[in-house]
Parts: sequence; C-alpha cells; structure tokens
Amino acid sequence: MQPIICVEGVTKAYNESAPILQDVTFKVEPGQFTAVVGPSGCGKTTLLRCIASLMQPDTGSVLHRGQQFKEPPSWLSIVFQDYNRSLFPWLTVRKNVAFGLRDKNGRAERVLAALRSVGLEHAADLYPWQLSGGMQQRCALARSIVVTPQLLLLDEPFASVDAQTRTDLQDMVMDICRRMSLSALLVTHDIDEAVFMADKVVVLSTRPARVVEEIEINLPRSRDQLSTKESPEFLHLRHRVYTLVRQQAHKSTIVASTDRT
Amino acid sequence: MTSKRSNIAPLAWQVSTLLAVLVAWQWAAVTNPTTHLPPLQLIFTRYLDLLWGDLLWSAVAPSILRLLIGFSIAVLFGAVLGIVIGSLRWFEPFLRPVIEYLRFIPAVAVLPAALLVFGATDTMRIFVIAFGSVFPVLLAAIDGARRAEELLTDVARICGLSTAERLFRVTLPAASPLIFAGIRIALSIALVMMVISELIAADNGLGYYILRSQRLFQTANVYAGVLMIGTIGLVLTLFLLTFEKRVLAWHRGWRGLSNTKSA
Repeated sequence: MQPIICVEGVTKAYNESAPILQDVTFKVEPGQFTAVVGPSGCGKTTLLRCIASLMQPDTGSVLHRGQQFKEPPSWLSIVFQDYNRSLFPWLTVRKNVAFGLRDKNGRAERVLAALRSVGLEHAADLYPWQLSGGMQQRCALARSIVVTPQLLLLDEPFASVDAQTRTDLQDMVMDICRRMSLSALLVTHDIDEAVFMADKVVVLSTRPARVVEEIEINLPRSRDQLSTKESPEFLHLRHRVYTLVRQQAHKSTIVASTDRT
Repeated sequence: MTSKRSNIAPLAWQVSTLLAVLVAWQWAAVTNPTTHLPPLQLIFTRYLDLLWGDLLWSAVAPSILRLLIGFSIAVLFGAVLGIVIGSLRWFEPFLRPVIEYLRFIPAVAVLPAALLVFGATDTMRIFVIAFGSVFPVLLAAIDGARRAEELLTDVARICGLSTAERLFRVTLPAASPLIFAGIRIALSIALVMMVISELIAADNGLGYYILRSQRLFQTANVYAGVLMIGTIGLVLTLFLLTFEKRVLAWHRGWRGLSNTKSA
C-alpha cells in the first residue's frame, strides 16, 4: 500500500539567504502515528503547512498515495496549537464542528458522534469562549475528525494547555486514531510526548531543517501514561531522541555565536 | 433600598429636566406670544398630523423610503466591497489613497453634481444619501477584513471552502463588529443627507415640508418636522441596536471574557 504522505526533498525559503526547510524527506505509512520533533524555531510548522498544501514548497513534492495535490485536500484535517484563534467565536461548538461538513445528509448525527468521541456532547450549544482551554481544543479535535479524514495533522496541539489536560488529550487523540484507524502526523517540541504517542519519530535538524534521523518506536500500542513512561524501552528511546535534539540545539547556539563574532 | 433609589433618581432627574424645558417653553410662549415661539399644543398637533395625518404620505413616507433605500445601498455596497478590498491584501494599498480622498468630500458638495447628472429625481436623493453614508461602512469593513484572524482562513481552506465562501462565512462575521460600528455612524450621516437632499428642487419629503413651512411662516410646522426627523433617527437607531445586539451577542461575550482575562 502506498504511503499516506510521502514528503520528497521539500525545500522552502521565505527569502533566499535564510532557507527554512532543506531537502526534507520522510513518509507516513497508513495507520501510522508519526511525530516530528526538532529544536524550537526549526521550521516544523512550515513543514506542516507545506504538507497540508496551505503553502507550496519551493522544490520537492508532497505525495498522497503517489499522487500530487495542490489545494488542501478533503482527506486531511488539522488541529492547530492556538485553539482560541482557530475556533470561530461567532459559532457554537456544534456549528464549529459542523463547519467542515459539506454533506447535509446525516450532518447532525455525525456532529453529535464527533462531539461524543471527545466528550463534549453536553457543551454543544455553548460558544467556544465559554469553555476551558482543554475543552476548546477538544472542540477543534471534534471538528477535524467529523470529516473522517485519512490523515490528522497535529500542530503542537497540546502546547497551550496545562499538564493534566495535556495527558488527557494525548490519551484521547491516541484512542481516536486507533478507533478510526487514522494516520497522524504530530509536530511537537515535547520529546516525551513524541516518544509516548508515536510509532515513528522524525528528528529534524536546526534551521534549515532536514531530517537527522528516523527512529522507530517499538513500544506496545496500548500505552499508559504511567507504565509506558516508566518502562526501560521508553526511557532508552527518549534518551536517544533527546540526545539528537540537544545536539541540534547545541549546533544552533554555536552557529549563532560564530555569527556574532 | 439604596440601589433602588439610585436607579430611580437618574430617571427622575431626566424626566424633570425635560419637563422643566417644556414648562419654560410653554410659559414663554403664553406670556410673550410671537411667531417663532408657538405654544406646545400647536406643535404637538402638527406633529400628530405628520405621524398619522395626510402628511404621513406626502412628507414622512417619501423621506423614510429614500433614507432606507439609500442607507441600505450604502450598507450593502460598503460591507461587500470593503470585505473584498480588505481581503485582497496586495490590492488594498493601491486603492487606499482614492478611498481616503473620496471620504473627505462632504456629500453636500456632491449634491449639485448629482442634480446635474440625475436631475431633481428620487435617484439623485438616494444617490446622495448612499454616497454620504457609504464611507464609514466601507472603511470599517476594510479594516475588519484586514484584522480577521489568518488562522481562521487556514481552517476554512482546510475545510475546503471556496474563496467566495470564505469571504462570507469567515471574513464577514469576523469583521461584523467593526462593520456595525461603521453602520451606526452611517445612519446619522444618512439622516443628514436625507434632509439636505430634500431642501433642493423637491416637492415632497420632510426636508421640503420644513422648507415650505418656513417660507409660509408656519413655525409650529417647522418644529414639528424637526421633531419628526429626530423621531425617525431615534427609532432607526433603536432598531439597529436591537439587531446588533442579536447578531453580535457572541462578540460581547467573547470580548467581555478576554477583557476579564487580561485584567
């Protein structure tokens, strides 16, 4: 089976002197949960926007099952970091979730099912700004799964919520991906989160970002916040990813200090 | 007890101030009768003529009709064009000088030109009303569209909305609080332009009624006409505020919440 997403030699620069992405290449297999980590500011969000076709790469291509696409496709949806900027404040939770549904048939049922799977059915008629941060992000999550996508793009979705809510949301996302057999691509700077949630971690270098290493996470799929995170395999993988990312971050400080001299 | 008194007190003051003005007017009119100070009952009778006499159809109705048509054109045209211009970020800077220049032309100055082009017609009066009131709406819509959250546009693109759908389902609601602020300013300008356009070469409408009454020294009619214009402005503003309260209920809650958060 062809990969859900195949990123091939993607390069992107906003201006010529400072490229953001340099020849980025990796794949997301069907049903796979892939995490992309890297030092902060390395261009993770730019990569995600290129994959979603919200912007076009300068060179290279993004293929879906071997096919190119130009506009944001219907088989893909995104959860952004800023829930209070990505939800429509003039729409209720129910209408926010229904926003992406083109098909009128069974719309109400599908919206309700999506709300149920994130535990928000009781808040359907409230406005997003009446909800807590975690609930707002669950609303955004419901909006992205109501269209039954094949690929879920997650752009630092847990970065703006408190620690307790974060772990709850992580469990919820993993559970939803498993039940709906979704492929997912999580962009994060949180290494624990990446190793805990993913089947594969793609480590990016500092700017211009390229893939330093792909690490398979062979932890058993039923993962638990306590036992998984305490297992030696988890700690070992975490150590490996952490070392790679820290090397990159270290490099960027050296580059910065030589730039100054 | 205290809160009740403090609620009643301002109202009592408002009513007594109004009464004092009316009593003073009436006292002056009775003790010192002149043509420019008619007694209240006369003004009131003329006002009632305007409200439900023959004058309703010959003076008030034509004015309201012109006002509503001109104002609606201004709101529709201003909002739609403003949203489109504001969304075309590369285009807006080119158009900006033209709009900024046009908006400083008082609509009154355009009136003679409009008279030449359209003649002494309803079209001319409606044009002048629309021209005068379009700019606050247009500028507010441009600003509102420019300030619309880009992330929401991304969400709409991911959801597969076309450009036109994005404008109406994302940019327009996002800009609506500013647009409504523009509409409120536009309404008062439209009212001014309604009266002025009826002072020139007209044979009906409130402006014409006031002008004719003044020429015939029917002072009470002049005052009644002025009061009627105030009434129209008040009623339309109340309509607008009620409508705005419903449409922008989300915005009050949202803004109220972000204010308490930042405080």
